[in-house]
Amino acid sequence: MPVFSVYVVNKAGGLVFQYDHQKTSIELEKTFSYPLDLKLEPQTDYVTVVFGQQDGIKVGHVILSVNGKAVSGRKLQDGSDVMEFIENEKNYPLNIRFGRPKLSSNQKIMMASMFHSLYAISVQLSPESGSSGIQKLETDTFTLHCHQTVTGVKFIVISDPKQVGVDSLLARLYTIYSDYALKNPFYSLEMPIRTELFDSQVVTAIEQTEKVGSAI
Amino acid sequence: MDQSKRPRITILDKPTSRGKQEVSLSAFALLFSEMIQYSQNRVRSVAELQTKLSDFGFSVGSRLVDLLIVREKGNKREIKVLNILLFIKVQLWKALFGKEADKLEQASDDDKIYYIIEKEPVISTYISVPKDKGSLNCAAFAAGIVEAVLNFSNFPCKVTAHWHKGTTLMIKFDESVIARDKLVT
Repeated sequence: MPVFSVYVVNKAGGLVFQYDHQKTSIELEKTFSYPLDLKLEPQTDYVTVVFGQQDGIKVGHVILSVNGKAVSGRKLQDGSDVMEFIENEKNYPLNIRFGRPKLSSNQKIMMASMFHSLYAISVQLSPESGSSGIQKLETDTFTLHCHQTVTGVKFIVISDPKQVGVDSLLARLYTIYSDYALKNPFYSLEMPIRTELFDSQVVTAIEQTEKVGSAI
Repeated sequence: MDQSKRPRITILDKPTSRGKQEVSLSAFALLFSEMIQYSQNRVRSVAELQTKLSDFGFSVGSRLVDLLIVREKGNKREIKVLNILLFIKVQLWKALFGKEADKLEQASDDDKIYYIIEKEPVISTYISVPKDKGSLNCAAFAAGIVEAVLNFSNFPCKVTAHWHKGTTLMIKFDESVIARDKLVT
């Protein structure tokens, strides 16, 4: 689905609202024989691919399951370490599933603040004075649109590169925010938004934008 | 010197118009939101908050009832329960919210109780009640208005707001009202 997620960042850079419309799960399963071509490195929570991209498995992907059994952190379900299991020649041929790790909510908050800072830096870097910050960030697989309001609240939408109508979606999100968050007596400013009316309206707005369709 | 002695017609000479009957919903929503926040700082429980909103509505209703009777009904006074309730459902709601209330029902077991039902009251359009205040219904403001209109038309009653089929205003009349109504009809 073309619109992936929505983030709302308050003027201090804190994440106020986050919604994933489409869980992008990029996963690949492959059978390997000894020795493994990829270079793996264990980190605190995962075992990641560090070198040796091949067949769609890219740097940054982590091991999600080995031989069909899910991996939790760095250990298999029976408690043995994943790295030892993989280095042992006797266990091959081996079926490993790689994928992009899902962001935890703490990581999302960190990402939002980082983007907030990058936005401010981009205003300084611009050769013209008085320019706005990052409005669109395009990559192969997604486009990030950002709209900063006069009060400093940023609405960030991550969508498919071919999706049209995201500018009007950003304007609509601003209207929805000013209606269902600011007119709600139980919402305090700059705090995380936890109201059902706001959530349901955001979902409706996203679905309408998706109906508009994508450019070819 | 031929100074024109034509009297200038200023705004004070023109008759008072009825004015535009509309107020922006956003302006009302922001004012209402502030009223709720103001009351929240001064009460200790959800029931007290609802009573405070009801009191606000009472002040509004008490001033509104005379104006509406003069404008809409030509100074005619209602003496029957059903008629005053229909007046509320149609005229009062139209004057306040620009549309009629959805349903008016009588309780099957008790003839003192009537219900005015609305799926989505206009005053709560932008309000989502958090879980820890689950029973708060901001239509208590409308309940106060209805209570004032009924009390000042000589139909003593109590009106409360509930979450039932959307929002329901439960109107409970005094015994004397029903007894008097039976004599009149």
